[in-house]
Amino acid sequence: MTTNPLVVGLGMTQFTGFSKNASLTDMVRDVARQALRDAGTSASSIDMGIACYESDHFNQSVSLGALWHDAVGLVGKPVVRVEGGGATGAVALQTAKAAIESGAARSVLVFGGETNGKSVERSTAMEILALSADFEWESPLFGSFAAPYALMMTEHMRRYGTTEEQFANVAVKNRREALSNPRAHKGMTISVEDVLSSPPLADPYRMLDASLLSDGAAAVLLATEEWAREHSSTFGERPPVTFVGSGSSTDHPRIADRRPENLANFAAKREAARRAYKAGGITDPLSEIDIAEVYDSFSGAEVQAYEDLGFCDAGEGGLAAMDGRFDREGQIPCNTSGGLMGRGSAVGATGLAQAFEVVSQLRGEVEPNRAVPGARVGITDTHSGAGALCVVNVFRRAA
Amino acid sequence: MKILVTECEGSAETAAVTMRYETTLRYQHVFGSISPFLEGLEHGVLRATRCETCLSTFFPPRPYCPEDLEATVWYELPGTGIIATATRVHVPTTFVDIEPPYVLAILRLDGVDGSIMHHVLGQDVPQPGTRVRATSVGDNLRHPLLRVAFQIERTP
Repeated sequence: MTTNPLVVGLGMTQFTGFSKNASLTDMVRDVARQALRDAGTSASSIDMGIACYESDHFNQSVSLGALWHDAVGLVGKPVVRVEGGGATGAVALQTAKAAIESGAARSVLVFGGETNGKSVERSTAMEILALSADFEWESPLFGSFAAPYALMMTEHMRRYGTTEEQFANVAVKNRREALSNPRAHKGMTISVEDVLSSPPLADPYRMLDASLLSDGAAAVLLATEEWAREHSSTFGERPPVTFVGSGSSTDHPRIADRRPENLANFAAKREAARRAYKAGGITDPLSEIDIAEVYDSFSGAEVQAYEDLGFCDAGEGGLAAMDGRFDREGQIPCNTSGGLMGRGSAVGATGLAQAFEVVSQLRGEVEPNRAVPGARVGITDTHSGAGALCVVNVFRRAA
Repeated sequence: MKILVTECEGSAETAAVTMRYETTLRYQHVFGSISPFLEGLEHGVLRATRCETCLSTFFPPRPYCPEDLEATVWYELPGTGIIATATRVHVPTTFVDIEPPYVLAILRLDGVDGSIMHHVLGQDVPQPGTRVRATSVGDNLRHPLLRVAFQIERTP
């Protein structure tokens, strides 16, 4: 009998286009301190750390786990570095969950970040990120992930009649949400017309359909209830949030290898969601999930995710993006943080920042003007590449 | 590593020091088991592999059949196929010396199961079902995958 871990501490920096006054290690130290303080505990009570960063190329550094342990008072404790592309933080949380449920650790600090903003020029950043495509068969053909995402969305449009206006709505919604999130990189008030008149990247995607490149860090402290009673002075001050389920799945990384019927959607996301929902006790996602952070690397990817996460039928995502059902006041508010388009994308921190948002919402601790009242169940959705590795995590607040 | 400039804004407790530098890395990439495919591209020939046990065909070529774990054999493809999906890319990249916009497509080739992503010559986005044929392009200063591109033969 395993017991799901509790989320006992959270930390997150302001996401920004360029963190000029804080290095990556400074940001990671900051979020680790926030998470420890949030839990009301000290580093000495932590059993292990999991360090998340996607790429070695943005900081010219490898093996940052031990360096970060040195920065936050965890020297002597074991550390594991986890990498899963855009899903890095979510994979790390899944790994921490397994460590706790196996009994290998009672408390795990998951912390990570990335400096995608200005550590290299934007065009170089796109090429570094494109390295998560196959270097022998695909990445040399495009050099930027806009292209494979565009091929998938072209297929979605052909198969289901989805329109550019429909997914432009997601770009408008997420930037609007970011306006009220004080930690967001860049909120904007824009219109669908603004999106449709922004410079083209790869048809049908345009500049404002794409997410941001950000600097930022985030941390999540997971622990057993027994540990929390013993070491967390804030335990009992608020309804505990439990990390009840995690599911992941892989697809062929080369999108040309995917079955034709799977080109319009993320097949691995469907499977990851199925596994996560099963583990988290969700049988009807639409009625049981109260809030979701969805991986909006491109606006259309969020539309595809609505379908793959079971929020609507296959092919219905475009209509759903129009009718407001995934807006903050809708059926399942998606990306109240602003998502990758508004809160921003510091790749190694993304999955953790999503958990930060969802758990903060479940705790009722976000700013009142953007709260989703009464939310009990929340999920996060991330993937690497163009859906090569998909991870869905489920969090549930006690009654 | 070549330092280009170091800069300091503010002073004492408010100081923010940054450094710009440049680094050049030279790599040697081993293509290994897909080398016969890439060698073929130098002559405009596309090759796939086949499992002699179950007769499955593989493209991109696989050196072993994942079902039978038997070594596969190489064979030549006619170099023709159809476009499944295509997009026009507007973003320049140093990965390839092609001026955008250019057309990127998923292609289903004749004579083999499986598909490949590749460039299609021209700037208009072709419809699914458009027939294409491989043609030699570029030289050995390109990624070997880019020694061919596909030209449109017939629209649907």
